[in-house]
Amino acid sequence: MIKEIAETLSILAIPLIILGFVVHATRKKVPVYESFVAGAKGGFEVAIKIIPYLVAMLVAIGIFRASGAMHILVSALSPIAHLIGMPPEVLPMAILRPLSGSGSLGLMTDIMKKYGPDSFIGILVSTMYGSSETTFYVIAVYFGAVNIYRTRHAVAAGLIADVVGMLGALLICRILLR
Amino acid sequence: MLNYVWIALVVIGVLAAAGSDIYDASTNRYRNGQEFEVQYNSLSSNEGTISFTKEYFDRFYGTSIESSDTVSFPVVVAHDSANIILGEEAPGIWRTIAKTAGNERRLGATIRKRSGNHLFIILPITSLVRTKAVLDAIISYSSLAVTISLALIGVMAFWLGIMKLGEDSGLINIIARAMKPIMVRVFPDIPPDHPAIGAMIMNIAANMLGLNNAATPLGLKAMDELEKLNPNKGTASNAMITFLAINTGGLTIIPATAIAIRAALGSKDPTVILMTSFFGAGLATIAGVLAAKILQRLKIYRIESTPQTNKAEEK
Repeated sequence: MIKEIAETLSILAIPLIILGFVVHATRKKVPVYESFVAGAKGGFEVAIKIIPYLVAMLVAIGIFRASGAMHILVSALSPIAHLIGMPPEVLPMAILRPLSGSGSLGLMTDIMKKYGPDSFIGILVSTMYGSSETTFYVIAVYFGAVNIYRTRHAVAAGLIADVVGMLGALLICRILLR
Repeated sequence: MLNYVWIALVVIGVLAAAGSDIYDASTNRYRNGQEFEVQYNSLSSNEGTISFTKEYFDRFYGTSIESSDTVSFPVVVAHDSANIILGEEAPGIWRTIAKTAGNERRLGATIRKRSGNHLFIILPITSLVRTKAVLDAIISYSSLAVTISLALIGVMAFWLGIMKLGEDSGLINIIARAMKPIMVRVFPDIPPDHPAIGAMIMNIAANMLGLNNAATPLGLKAMDELEKLNPNKGTASNAMITFLAINTGGLTIIPATAIAIRAALGSKDPTVILMTSFFGAGLATIAGVLAAKILQRLKIYRIESTPQTNKAEEK
């Protein structure tokens, strides 16, 4: 029930937002077409601005993933995973989630194919996927759009959010499913 | 810190690739130049199947593959060469050899010797597998970055247009005022009636509803507004980092992608993760914002220079 309402809402949201903005602007006697075009002009510039930042970030992540260094990191971190009761099968997911959106999507699919979507590991891995965003992509794109390269504590704060998200997913799945 | 993460990704990546290639070469992991014996069953003049036992394969490569006792593949045979057609279930080593040679689905082998219905084949010489994969990744990820950016132009323009309408008509201001009690606490440096507040609220709402196509353009619009208030160009402001922490938490009412994949894989209850991932993402978002607030007080992250000295340095 909640799911149906939420799904309908997310489909209707954009048309409703557009309608609301256009109607309100018309009532306030804003020259709608002129104003829209004036705003839309910035689109090209922003998209072009983020290219160098995105190239730098994605290439570094690409090198890391293609090299097989993942395996090294997984074996280095597996004692910690064991200590907190995280199944070793989902550890690559915890590492890949902040680095690559498409990579972690593929990994989630593979793990659920192997262990079944309704197994503990299957539910845990999809919860982990839903509990975080691709931190490094967000940082590259958002800071790139305004030409910021000194990011201060942004990476640290983003990674703390990721670690807490992964631990939160593990905690809630263990409480509810075991 | 982004600097160090970047260096770590590149250096660890290159070293790991080189290390694994040197190890493979020293153990001759791909058995370069060694004859592999298969049984050949002819179906027509140049087509047939090859088969071998799992035990023979495991002994030959010194591994253990997941397969049935006898493995067979379709093959196209010419006078002294054989094209083995690999499927999804093919052993990883053979798929890697085929991929490094250029085609993941077709493994081109040389027939060294025939004896009855047995063939002795030699597979392509395989080396520097990981290094080649890294080179491929550099090219393909560079193009991917450009593809992503260019694909953004249209939606970006659309949402910037809509946001301009909202600004000119004062609607963004109304939205910002409604959320004022929360926003002044989370973003104390931003005037509560500034357009940045409205854009950030729109971005967070889009994220919550799972509208990914709208969330990024609205987020970039918010960053643009925050940059107007930022006295240190090129350096992130406290408000920007707090805003980014909210975004990296990824709070969503419906994690639509994960649910869709669960459903596609035949889950009995694909939406069981609604509650669990809301909990996880909620904790992540709270932790991100708190971390941003605490870390900004640390000496190493404090902005030492005023805008004036910054300009002086640039000169």
